[in-house]
Amino acid sequence: MTALLHLTLLGLKLNFRNRMAMLYGYLFPLIFLVAFWAVYRNDPVPLVLHLGQFLTVTILGSACFGLPTTIVSERERGVWRRYRLLPAPGWTFLASVLLARAVLLATAALLQLALAFALGMPWPTQPADLLIAFAVASFAFLGFGLVIAMLVDNVPAVQALGQCIFLPMLMIGGVAVRLESLPAWAQHLSLFFPGRYAVEALQLSATGAGLSGAGFDLAALLLTGVAGAVAAAAMFRWDKAFAPRRAWLLLAIGMWVAVGVAAEMRGRATVSAVQDTREVGTSRDYVAAPPKQQAAPALPAAWREVTQADMDRIAFDRLPPDEGIISPLSRGDEVPDPAIVPSLDRIRDALPGWAPGNVSDPVQRARNLLSIAAVPDILQMEQVERFVPRLVFARLQAVTPPRDLPKILYWIAMHPDEGEDRAMHQLGVFGLPDITGPTKPVRGRVMLYAFKLLGRLAGPLPNN
Amino acid sequence: MIQALTVNTLSRRHGAVGAVDGISFAIAAGEVFGLLGPNGAGKTTTIECLLGLVRPDAGSIAICGVDARAQPRAARARTGAVLQVTGLPDKITPREALDVFGAFYPSPLNTNVLLERFGLREKQDAAYESLSGGQKQRLALALAFVGDPQLLVLDEPTAGLDPQMRRELHDHIRAMKAAGRAVLLATHDMDEAQALCDRIAVIAAGRIVATGTPAELIAGSGASLEDVILTLTGGAR
Repeated sequence: MTALLHLTLLGLKLNFRNRMAMLYGYLFPLIFLVAFWAVYRNDPVPLVLHLGQFLTVTILGSACFGLPTTIVSERERGVWRRYRLLPAPGWTFLASVLLARAVLLATAALLQLALAFALGMPWPTQPADLLIAFAVASFAFLGFGLVIAMLVDNVPAVQALGQCIFLPMLMIGGVAVRLESLPAWAQHLSLFFPGRYAVEALQLSATGAGLSGAGFDLAALLLTGVAGAVAAAAMFRWDKAFAPRRAWLLLAIGMWVAVGVAAEMRGRATVSAVQDTREVGTSRDYVAAPPKQQAAPALPAAWREVTQADMDRIAFDRLPPDEGIISPLSRGDEVPDPAIVPSLDRIRDALPGWAPGNVSDPVQRARNLLSIAAVPDILQMEQVERFVPRLVFARLQAVTPPRDLPKILYWIAMHPDEGEDRAMHQLGVFGLPDITGPTKPVRGRVMLYAFKLLGRLAGPLPNN
Repeated sequence: MIQALTVNTLSRRHGAVGAVDGISFAIAAGEVFGLLGPNGAGKTTTIECLLGLVRPDAGSIAICGVDARAQPRAARARTGAVLQVTGLPDKITPREALDVFGAFYPSPLNTNVLLERFGLREKQDAAYESLSGGQKQRLALALAFVGDPQLLVLDEPTAGLDPQMRRELHDHIRAMKAAGRAVLLATHDMDEAQALCDRIAVIAAGRIVATGTPAELIAGSGASLEDVILTLTGGAR
């Protein structure tokens, strides 16, 4: 054990003395992070929606290049041949390399997270799950990194083979390019690249409900990791003069295929747009508490009974900021990017003829219209989601008497779970995708937008 | 008495070619045993089998009574070795190498003592890649000694060394012998073999063709050791 510790520490020291290893191990992940941030720099928060991706890139880089390069270059120069003369089992040396690599990988990820936090990324929703997901994903890919190390004879071959795995995983494996941006055939193909499962498990821990919904992802990663480790152990060689037992490669690759087939059979191929389903609280969270020793006033029994006094009790300052990720809203004088103007025009043009926006019940009509703003918010549709609420507000004002609209908005905001929600599945006419899963998150965003418009019509929010 | 090394009918084939073909010999404690022969005779393959770098096809190897094939780690703990080429990480320093390698042995020699003994004190914190060829070979030797071995295996250790380093190495070998340790020395250098070895095995085409003291090998021939060995290995002038 002392020898293992010595060797691991030595591996770390030697890595820190290698300028290229440092650049590749630490700078490369940071560059990737900054790239993600730069793409979405107009909003301070979406970085968290890419956390699964940039952590997976870091793990993949370490597994496809860092680990095998270390092993292969040392084996090429006869270092491992010299190690073999030492009185220790072979696993000691492999374990030391893996331990050192795990430490390097963990520190690189921590550095990446630190920079992400500095750039405004919020704390992950499930930090403990994130740690577990990171460990499992690292195990999966380092296992395969060992296979690469055993398979090839020299460092250029590591680079070549590593790129053959790394790049497809990034481009069509759901790691760098979001699955929902990929065509259907690529979404199917991505099931055979374990990077997808790493991204999903990490992302569920960062912004979702945690690993309780990532059983398949974790199983897929564990199985690919075990297969890689077993294959690498069987292919292990101290000296490049000995040929690896390449047949064992079939086990590692076969597991990727088996996991992909299992995922296909479970219907996991097609991915809807990413949904940001974070809890936004209940309407009570946005109502100011009554003064001490006073009972809370009764809520109005119907929307027509809503008074200014009811509206004055809304704590508009508790609403998420317009510049944030939840219920974002453009400024009134803000000019959209020309690239999204056609999308906004399409929505504006389709609004008057949209049947759910013309139903006779004014409350249901307003609910339906607000869902047009809520869905792009849930789907994180980047620039578009900030401008759609303005179009909806204008339409609401056009189809609702001015004295009724504040009351209706108050009613919707205070009763987000009432009414029909079928309209949120009828947004194709606006060029908006359908959403999947429970409708409660959409109702939560409808509530927030109702509050935000109400605050502009009858409250303190500036209507700029 | 337990021999430091006992090799019995050792065989190893490389494809259809018998690189080592039924070799047997033994080395006693305090003995320097030379393995001489032309390139490709099977010296290095024999040594690689002894050290566990290559798996023999047949035969047995015992190091200080330990079956090296059944208990390779126990055998390696009693053995120090210098290969023809020693690979170490570029950035490792002599001190770090000795410390780390020493951690694998039950009773390692003191790193400072080894640095001093092998003239590496001044270079103790220099990166391996910055050492001269001679300094690298000194470090290889120091690493072979770090576990305080009962058996020292040297595969052409003086190849490429300057005369001073060669003399230093000979002194180290003599010191090992004086300390009761066994040395297996594979070399091309007849003078070196004659000066250091108590006994010599001449190997050709994977077989031992003669064994004896240098004096026994040349006795009655009137020729030099080099001529005798060239004759034995089929390379006579």
